[in-house]
Amino acid sequence: MDWEGQRLAELLMQYILLGSALVAFLMGYVSGSFSSMIYVYLAGVVVTFMATVPDWPFFNRHPFTWLEPLYAEKPSQRVLARQQAAGKKGVKSSQARR
Amino acid sequence: MYSWILRVNTVLTLSVTVLAALCAVASMTDGLHRPSPAVELKVLNVGPLERLRNGDDRIALTLSIKADLESVFTWNTKQLFVFVAAEYWSPEEGFNQISLWDTIIEKKENAKIDQQIKSKMLRKATRVGYFTYPFQGKDLRGRDFNLTMYWNVMPISGAFFTDKAVVPGFQLPISYN
Repeated sequence: MDWEGQRLAELLMQYILLGSALVAFLMGYVSGSFSSMIYVYLAGVVVTFMATVPDWPFFNRHPFTWLEPLYAEKPSQRVLARQQAAGKKGVKSSQARR
Repeated sequence: MYSWILRVNTVLTLSVTVLAALCAVASMTDGLHRPSPAVELKVLNVGPLERLRNGDDRIALTLSIKADLESVFTWNTKQLFVFVAAEYWSPEEGFNQISLWDTIIEKKENAKIDQQIKSKMLRKATRVGYFTYPFQGKDLRGRDFNLTMYWNVMPISGAFFTDKAVVPGFQLPISYN
């Protein structure tokens, strides 16, 4: 999921949850049944889960563009330490060659 | 929101918050509701007034209880607890209530009450009754009393409250039988 996809998922979640709460309240109040309000709201929660939890393709429409990799000029400290520990000759000469 | 576990957590958290808000709003609608209950309480028959050995007085009353509490029910009402109390006041004892009858109404369809009951009005009974007050009086002769129907409204969510209808103007016998 890319950055835009995460934003979209969060907005979807808020709109679906608040919208289903509004619909649930109106339906419950008009029909005079508290349990129907709870069931309609639970259905809204399930829809929210289905819409936002899986990594749907429409959350991946803005792929990340990474910079080109940069290569270090010198060998890293870790590589140097490993070479010294090995005690091989020609370490200096190999460095000099570069 | 990057991984699915974080999204599950976010959806669950927000959904419970919204559910709490829904319940709060639902309980607020009870404040807009104006019930119009009809209560009719009558004393059909007053039994003999007896003096017990321990100094308490006892009397049996036959009551007619008619009430229509359908309008008390809202969409947020779970059940009603209804009771009828005899209430009287005396200078030495203060305010006394004796519960004579009670019932629980779970459905709006059952909210019409039409019953005749025989009830005892016993001084000591106030100790196990509802809303009792300590009391050390002498007798019940010629006592004026009210019959009051109380109903506790138990909501599905929100505030619990009590309402009542007072029917005044009853009197106990002046002398012992």
